[in-house]
Amino acid sequence: MSSSVKPQAVASLLAATIQPAWGAWSRARNLLVGLALLALLPSPRCSAADSAPDAALFHDEIRPILQTYCFDCHGDGAHKGNVAFDEFKSDQSVLTNRDLWFKALKNLRAGMMPPVKKPQPSPEQRQEIAQWIKSAVFCIDPANPDPGRVTVRRLNRVEYRNTIRDLMGVKYDTQSEFPPDDTGYGFDTIGDVLTISPMLLEKYLIAAQKIVDEAVPEKKEGAKPKVYGRFFPKDPPAKSKERRAYAREVLADFARKAFRRPVDEKTVNRLAALAEETYSRSGKTFESGIGEAMVAVLASPRFIFREEGTGAPSGPGGDPLVDEYALASRLSYFLWSSMPDEELMRLAAEGHLRQDLPAQMERMLKDKRSEDFVRNFTGQWLRARDIDNVQIEERDVLAREHGTNREMDKTRKRFHELERKPEDLLTKEEKQEKDDLRSSFFKRFGAPLDPGLNSELRRAMREETEDVFGYVVHEDRSLLELIDSDYTFLNERLAHQYGITNVTGKEMRRVTLPPDSQRGGVLTEGTVLAVTSNPTRTSPVKRGLFILDSILGTPPPPPPANIPPLEDAAKGLTNDAPSLRAILAAHRANALCASCHNRMDPLGLAMENFNALGLWRTNEFNQPIDGSGTLLTGESFSSVQQLKRILVEKHAKDFYRTLTEKMLTYAVGRGLDYSDVETVDQIVSRIEKANGRASALLDGIVDSAPFQKCRPAPSARPAKLPSLSFNKS
Amino acid sequence: MSRKHNSIEASAVQSPTSFNRRHFLRGLGACVALPAFASLLPTRLMASSSAGKLALTSTGAPLRAAFLYFPNGAIPDAWWPKEQGADFELSKTLQPLAECRKNLQIFGGLDDRSAQPDEDGAGDHARANGTFLTGVRLKKSATDLHAGISIDQVLAREIGSVTRFPSLELTCETERPSGICDSGYSCAYQYNLSWSSPTTPMTAESNPRLVFERLFGAGPPGQRVENLRRRRQEQRSILDFVMQDARSFERRLNAGDQAKLDQYLTGVRELEVRIHAAEKLGDPKDPMAPTPAGVPATYGEHMDLMFDILTLAFQTDSTRVASLLLAHDGSNRSFSDIGVSEGHHDLSHHFNNEEKMRKVAEIDQWYVKQLASFLRKLDQVKDTDGHSLLHNSMIVYGSGNADGNRHTHVNLPIILAGAGGGTLTPGRHITQPSVPASNLFLSMADRMGVRNLPRFGESTGRLSDV
Repeated sequence: MSSSVKPQAVASLLAATIQPAWGAWSRARNLLVGLALLALLPSPRCSAADSAPDAALFHDEIRPILQTYCFDCHGDGAHKGNVAFDEFKSDQSVLTNRDLWFKALKNLRAGMMPPVKKPQPSPEQRQEIAQWIKSAVFCIDPANPDPGRVTVRRLNRVEYRNTIRDLMGVKYDTQSEFPPDDTGYGFDTIGDVLTISPMLLEKYLIAAQKIVDEAVPEKKEGAKPKVYGRFFPKDPPAKSKERRAYAREVLADFARKAFRRPVDEKTVNRLAALAEETYSRSGKTFESGIGEAMVAVLASPRFIFREEGTGAPSGPGGDPLVDEYALASRLSYFLWSSMPDEELMRLAAEGHLRQDLPAQMERMLKDKRSEDFVRNFTGQWLRARDIDNVQIEERDVLAREHGTNREMDKTRKRFHELERKPEDLLTKEEKQEKDDLRSSFFKRFGAPLDPGLNSELRRAMREETEDVFGYVVHEDRSLLELIDSDYTFLNERLAHQYGITNVTGKEMRRVTLPPDSQRGGVLTEGTVLAVTSNPTRTSPVKRGLFILDSILGTPPPPPPANIPPLEDAAKGLTNDAPSLRAILAAHRANALCASCHNRMDPLGLAMENFNALGLWRTNEFNQPIDGSGTLLTGESFSSVQQLKRILVEKHAKDFYRTLTEKMLTYAVGRGLDYSDVETVDQIVSRIEKANGRASALLDGIVDSAPFQKCRPAPSARPAKLPSLSFNKS
Repeated sequence: MSRKHNSIEASAVQSPTSFNRRHFLRGLGACVALPAFASLLPTRLMASSSAGKLALTSTGAPLRAAFLYFPNGAIPDAWWPKEQGADFELSKTLQPLAECRKNLQIFGGLDDRSAQPDEDGAGDHARANGTFLTGVRLKKSATDLHAGISIDQVLAREIGSVTRFPSLELTCETERPSGICDSGYSCAYQYNLSWSSPTTPMTAESNPRLVFERLFGAGPPGQRVENLRRRRQEQRSILDFVMQDARSFERRLNAGDQAKLDQYLTGVRELEVRIHAAEKLGDPKDPMAPTPAGVPATYGEHMDLMFDILTLAFQTDSTRVASLLLAHDGSNRSFSDIGVSEGHHDLSHHFNNEEKMRKVAEIDQWYVKQLASFLRKLDQVKDTDGHSLLHNSMIVYGSGNADGNRHTHVNLPIILAGAGGGTLTPGRHITQPSVPASNLFLSMADRMGVRNLPRFGESTGRLSDV
C-alpha cells in the first residue's frame, strides 16, 4: 500500500465518475469503506529498512534447518501442497509471505510437519524456527503484542436479553423476537458479522417500546407499584422547574447505566426535553414522559452498540489502554454476557478497576451471571447449543445396531403409518397399538425405554456439558479434565442413557464414574456425540473434524470442490452393509482424500462405540466395532479411553492453545491472525506454569493486550459516507 | 455449581391474543379461500400518476414477485420433463403441480456460474445460497462479508415506495447451527437470500407471529390498526432522537466502525420512510383472523403458515416483493414424515445409489408439494382486476444447486409460476441455450417497471422467451 495516496481523494474521484444510476451510491459507498479500511491495516512493527538482519538470519540459520528436514517435499523443485521454501523471489518476499509462515508455524507446532515417519528437527531447532517466524516475519514485539482491531460490537441477542434483564428487570424473549445472529469463527460475539438490517432496527424500536411499557410503572392513585423505586427514587415534585431537574437526574442516571459510561450534558438535556414534551401533554403522567425518554435510550446506537473509549498509553511505544468503562464492559460481557453492575461502574468511575482486577474476576465468577458465560461459550465451542435442535431418528439409529428382519420392518412400517396420522384422528385402539409397538420396539433393542432425544434428555445433555465446564472454571480445576476425567454431571435420565446406575431424580449432580467407564470428558458427552452425527447414523468424519477443530486446533482444509465418487472405491467391498470403517478405508485409498482423512478418520472412528444418541454399543450391522487407531502424529490407541489419555499426555499444549484461541476469539469479538500468536503463546505458557488450572486461562485472557488495549485510531478521518436511502424526498 | 436460574428461553412471551395454529389457519384459511373477501383488498389502487407504471399489470392491478429457495438441488432425471413447449408431461417430482400446470413455466438451461468453485474451492452450498439472488461471486471469508445486492432488493428499491413494505424477507429456518458454516464462508451467505447492499444481508423473519404483527399490528382482531398507529406515533419522536444521537456517536467512531453505524442509520431512514408510507397509503385492513401463535411444531405446518401470510401480504397489497428461504442450502433435515429419515444433505451425496436417489427425489417432491399448495392459495384469491393473485404474480421457485450429488450450478431447477399479469406465457417447459439465471431476473425486473437496469448479476441479456 502506498502511503502517498489519500483514500479520500481517490474515493471522491471514483465516486464522481460513477454514473448516478441505480446502485451507484452503494458501489461508491463500498469503495469508500474499502479504502477507509485499507488505511487501517496493521502497520508492520518492523520496517523494511531493518529487514536485512532478519533476512540474513534466514539464510544463515533457518534455511539450513529447512533444507535438512523440509526440502524433500518443499524445496529443490518439490512443492508438495503448493509449498516450497526455496522459491522466494527476493529476501523481502521471504519476510512478507506471512500466510505461508503462519501455516508452517501451525504445522510445526502441532507435530504435523515434518511427517512422523521423516527425520525430525530437535526441540531447539523447532524453537528457533518458531522464534524467527514470530519476530522476523510477524514483527512481533513480545513486550508489546499487537492488540488488534475490533469492530464496534452490537449486543447479540443473548447479551441484549441479559442487559435488559439487569437494566430493566424485564424478561424479554429475544430468542423468539429477534432473528438469530450471524456468527464468525464459530461465535456470535464477532463485531464484523453482527450486522443490523432495517428489520432488526425496527425490532429494536419495538422491543424498546414493549420493554418500557412493561418495566416502567405508571403510578396509580395511592399505591406505588413495587418496582417504582427502581426507576424513581422519589415522587415527582409538583413545580415544573423542579420537575425538570428531577427528570434530568433520573434520566442521567438511567442513560449512564444503559450506555455503560457517563453521558454528556447535551444528551441529558435532549432526553429531558423529550420527556417533558410527553408529560406536559394533558392526561400524561410524569412517569410516562420519563418512559418515552427511556425508549429513546434503548433505541439509541449507544445502547445497541458497545462504545469504547481510549485511556492512557500503556507505556513507551505501547498501544493505548481502553478506558476503564470499556474495560468494565469487556469484562461483564465476557463473564456475564451482560452489562457491568454498579460495582464495576463505580470502580471504573474512580479509575480503580484495573488495579482491582483479580478481586473483581473472582467476584464475577462467583456471581450467578457467570453461568451465562459457561452456557454461551460451551454452547458454541462445543456446539452444545445445537443439541436443542439436532434431528436424530432413534429407530434408524438403533436398527443399525440390531440388524433388520422382515418382521421388524413390518412393525416399523405400521408404526410409521400410525405416527403419520394426526394424534386427534387416531382411534383408541390405534393409540393403544402405537404405544404397544413403541415399547416392543425398544424392548427388542434392549435400549432404555424411549432412548430418543426428547426435550428432557436434550436438556440434561446440554447441562452436562455446561456443568462440567462450569465446574472446572468455578473450582479452578485442570483444564485437562475437560478431556479426561473420572467424573461427569448426570441426572437419572442421562445416567440411564449412559448405562450408569444409582443416580435418581431430575437434579443434575456430579457423579464419580466407575473405574471402567468410557465416559468422562467432552468427547463422550451426549451433546458432542449427537451434534456430530447425521440423522440416522454416526459420522466419524464429522466427529474427527470436531476433535481436530475444537480440541487440537488443526482443522484440515475443506474438501476439494469436486469430491471423487466413493462408489468406485466401495465397489471392491463384498459386504452388503459395509461398516463405516470399511467405507472410509476405501475412501482413504484415494491419495487425494487420504491426506486429510488420515487425520480425521482415526479420531472419529475411536468414538464409534457411541451411536448418534450417545448410547454405548459394541456392534453395528452384526459386526463388532473396532475403536482402535493411530494418530497422524504416530500414537496408537485401542479405545476412546486410550485416545483421551494420549490427548492429555501428548497433546496438552495443543489443547491449551486451541482453547485459548477459542476463548480469546469469544472474549475480544474478532478472529485471530498471525499477529496474535505471541498473545496466545503467553497465555499458554501461563496455563502450563499453573499446571493447567482454569484460572490461568481466564486471567491470561483478561490481562492480554487484545483485552486491555486497542490499536490507536488512525488520525485521518474518512470521507463522509453518502446516504444509502433510496427514497430521499 | 448452583442450579440454573435462567429459564427465560422456556417462558416465551406469548401474546394473550394468540391462538393455536389450527385456529389461526381456520380463520386465515377462510380469508384466503374466499375470493369475495373484498374487505381485504387495498382501499385504493396505487395506480396514481406519481407511482407511474411501478409493479402494475395492464389492468391496473398490483404485480408481485416472490423468490422461493429450496435446498440441495433436485435429482435431475426425476425433475426434468421430457417434452419441450406447451405439450409436456409433468415429471415425477413435479407431479404435485398437475393442478396448476397451466400457470407454470419450467425453465431449463439457467445457470448460476458465480456459484462454481473456480479459485475459491470448497463451499458450494454457501455459494449456491448466497449467489442465487445476487448473481455475484462471494468473498470467501468468515467475517468480511461481500456479496451483491439481490434482485428482490433491486425491485424493492425501485417500487418499494408504492406499498407499506418495500419487501418482505422470510425464512423457515428458525435456528443457526453454532460453530462454523460451509468451508470458510460466513454463515450469513448460507442463511440469507436477500442483500440490500454487498455488506448488508436482509435478515429474514422466521416467526409467523412476528411477520403477521409487523404487517397488521399486534393485539386481538379489531385493535391492531389502533396499535400500529400508537406505535408509529411514539416512534416518530424516538427516531428524531436516535438520529441525532447516532450523529454524535458517529463522530467518535473510526472508519471500520462507521460502516456498522451506517447500517443503523439506513435502518432508521427506512423506518422513517415506512412510517411516512403508512400515513400516505393508509392503514392495512385487519384480516380479523387470530394472530398466529408462533413457529408451528412441524416443518410442513411452518411452511404452510408462511405461505398463508405471504398470500395475505400480497392480497392486502402490503408488499409486492418477497423472498422466502424454505431451507438453507446444505440443509440436512430429516423427513421421517414421508419415510425418509436420513439427512437431506447426507442423502444428496447419493453416489448414484438408487435407493438414496429415490429418497432424495421424494424430498424434492415434498418441497414441490408445498409449492403447489402455495400456488393453489394464490390461485384462489381474486385480485382487484378480477384475475387471480397467481395470475398477477411472478413466483420463482428454485435452487442454486442443480445436481446436489456433484454440486453443479448449471441447468438449475427453476420454475416461474404465475402469468405476470398476462405478460408471461405460462404452461410450458422451455430449455434455454445455457444462459445466466440473472437473465430471467432481469426480464422480471422489466415487468415490475424497473427502469435503467441494463444488467444484473452475471446477466448477458434478457430472457427472450418467457
